[in-house]
Amino acid sequence: MGTTVEGKLGHNVFKIGKERHITVNTEICNTKCKDKVCLYICPAFLYKLDDQGNVTVDWEGCLECGTCLLCCLEDALEWEYPRGENGIQYRSA
Amino acid sequence: MKIIVPVKTNPDLQMIRIKNREPILEAVPYKVGDLDKNSVEAALQLQAAVGDTQVVALTIAEGNRKIKDTMKEVLAMGADEAYILSDDALTAADQAGKALALAKAIEKIGGADLIVFAEGSTDNYSGQMGPRVAELLALPEIGYAKKLTVADGKLTAERGMGDLIEVLESSLPAVVTVTSEINEPRIPTLMNIMKAGKKPTTEWTLGDVGLDAAAVAPQKAVLSNLAEEQQRKNVMIEGSAEEQCAALIDALIKDGVLEA
Amino acid sequence: MEKVDCIVVGGGLAGLSAAYGLASEGLEVILIERGDYAGAKNVTGGRLYVSPIRDMYPELWEAAPFERPVTREFITLLNSGNATTIEFASDKFAAQPYQSYTVLRATLDLWLSEQVMEKGGMVITNQRVDELLMEDGKVIGIRAGEDEIGADMTIVAEGVLGLVSTKAGLRQKPSWKDHAVGFKETIELPQEVIESRWHLSPGQGAAHLFMGEVTKGMLGGGFLYTNKSSISFGIVLGMKDAKERADKIDVYTLLDDFKAHPHVAPLVAGGELLEYSAHVISEAGYAGIPQLYGDGYLLAGDTAGLALNQLYTVRGMDFAVASGYYAAKATLEAKQQGDLSAAGPMYEKMMRDTWVIKDLETAQHIPHFIENPRIFTHYPQSVGRIFERLFTLTSDPTEGIYHKVMGSVKQDFVNAKTVKELMGVRKI
Repeated sequence: MGTTVEGKLGHNVFKIGKERHITVNTEICNTKCKDKVCLYICPAFLYKLDDQGNVTVDWEGCLECGTCLLCCLEDALEWEYPRGENGIQYRSA
Repeated sequence: MKIIVPVKTNPDLQMIRIKNREPILEAVPYKVGDLDKNSVEAALQLQAAVGDTQVVALTIAEGNRKIKDTMKEVLAMGADEAYILSDDALTAADQAGKALALAKAIEKIGGADLIVFAEGSTDNYSGQMGPRVAELLALPEIGYAKKLTVADGKLTAERGMGDLIEVLESSLPAVVTVTSEINEPRIPTLMNIMKAGKKPTTEWTLGDVGLDAAAVAPQKAVLSNLAEEQQRKNVMIEGSAEEQCAALIDALIKDGVLEA
Repeated sequence: MEKVDCIVVGGGLAGLSAAYGLASEGLEVILIERGDYAGAKNVTGGRLYVSPIRDMYPELWEAAPFERPVTREFITLLNSGNATTIEFASDKFAAQPYQSYTVLRATLDLWLSEQVMEKGGMVITNQRVDELLMEDGKVIGIRAGEDEIGADMTIVAEGVLGLVSTKAGLRQKPSWKDHAVGFKETIELPQEVIESRWHLSPGQGAAHLFMGEVTKGMLGGGFLYTNKSSISFGIVLGMKDAKERADKIDVYTLLDDFKAHPHVAPLVAGGELLEYSAHVISEAGYAGIPQLYGDGYLLAGDTAGLALNQLYTVRGMDFAVASGYYAAKATLEAKQQGDLSAAGPMYEKMMRDTWVIKDLETAQHIPHFIENPRIFTHYPQSVGRIFERLFTLTSDPTEGIYHKVMGSVKQDFVNAKTVKELMGVRKI
């Protein structure tokens, strides 16, 4: 069962809307944050560094758990729940 | 003017799990079909454009135990009232039986100036309801419209034909089916959802529209409904990037995916 | 502005319990949930303790779609080379009335929302509450998108993150210092396999907790709950430890390592992944409870910080139900007295006079106690060493049992640190 985390997310239902619900404020992130906790603490592993070294987030696969929101010490995240009809929809198993 | 929008509710396709190639429908919530929302939206836009128009939604329960709740979404979008045909015999019916039931219900509602269908249902997509109902009611039908206008007692519809746009005109009453291109369905607001609960909803059985189980008995049967079998070849290509690319191209040529 | 008696923000167990109580007494109540249905956004490890809440809405718990009653408890101390498992079964737990049940939220919450509707409550899904409407410091309703609705009473049960209540200044933003992240896989397994792996009679269930290697020394542990035909398998991890750990371990990989552990792999073998979920959990305990009420509003469930991790039991859902129940009860009594402003103080009193806040108070030293990393490394390893020595037989002349055991005990337990920690145990 050596599934990748992307593979795990593939088992979930995500209703992806047009609006992103998490935005990284790159300026705050680059100038103030040294730790970049988001890169390793997100249980869905959605935070990555792009070619320019900026933190990006694949918000489409978000489990809406809130871990990044609490761990972003510099308040560099604009974080809302996705609007109605969007986002993760857990199913009965 | 009166517009009837027959819609279908179906199990939320995104929520369905497949197990041993079979869809597991147990506990999957129903929703109004995505394509049906386009037809509702089209009717609501005509209502806004023409004024003094009533939009009536009509559906067949088809095994949806919470059909009244599901139909609230159509009412919350803006439809003025809803009619629901609930009958076990209709759950087993094929397209011919369902079209007959819809036609009878439309007659009982008192007919309409315009009947707007989706191009097909979001789950089975047979695309038969519009043309069949038009035939049963002896009305003109225009299929796959991507733009609708009503003026001077006439319907004008545009259809996309590849590179061409065909513009058709029809007298009313008429039946039209619309594609998903026609609009972006509105999302019901909180206030409209609250109001939807107070809009009239009428439930009918087959008997109420003058039919019985025999009249809608299926003439064809679904033998199986299985997910496509995915056979993966599990070929691993190793070596340097150049070697892998060359080997991959060779393999694709051998399989006929690429031409040599 | 349209106005109703009561608005409930959030369709989790707290919000649904509140709405159920209010609707049962004929109040005009609207519950607003952002998921496709109540439960669509909700995550639990897996177990609801019913005994504390049985007398609140008894008709519900008799009919609720639970997964399995928990009749067997397992605790495994997991190390890299060995595992010690305690299995506890009691006739008391195996008979009605069952103390606790495993649950799946998408099933349970959806069902509960149907019961609310049956009582005449309105459950509106797919709508996100964006804001609480305030007037002179009083909550007077909510805004969702463009629409505003007023209410005499707003019960905020929006979950642990508390976005709208924080924005309105009704509570503090939750801190990473005293919160954990839980993440789990729901894994499908045939019923008979579940019953044979956890030694269960048909239909009965197990709770299985893991300590030690699971979190690689960080605060937290693993859990496994048996559902009808799946297991909930996951990890709870303290954010502070995860965040401050020097090697910046990718948190999600812990679950894969846990699953691949030689003493865990056989338990999950052959299972198919159904879903992967995660959520923040409060570990603040008593200290994390905010002001529970104010003018025009009550806070309930996780929004009110009601969660308790005692290591061997993890509670939250029973607190959620109880807070919703008391929120409804206080609102109804205050309304009957003709003074809704009395609801807040009454609500707080009901919560303080009963197990709800008392249990959190009793356990208030646990968060500090479990901050000690030795609990997650040293002690599980020590126990493993004792048994490893006890069960080892070689060609050397063997020691007496007393020497085998006491050798390990002396080495691992008779030292200043341990004695000091044992003194700490008395507080919990």
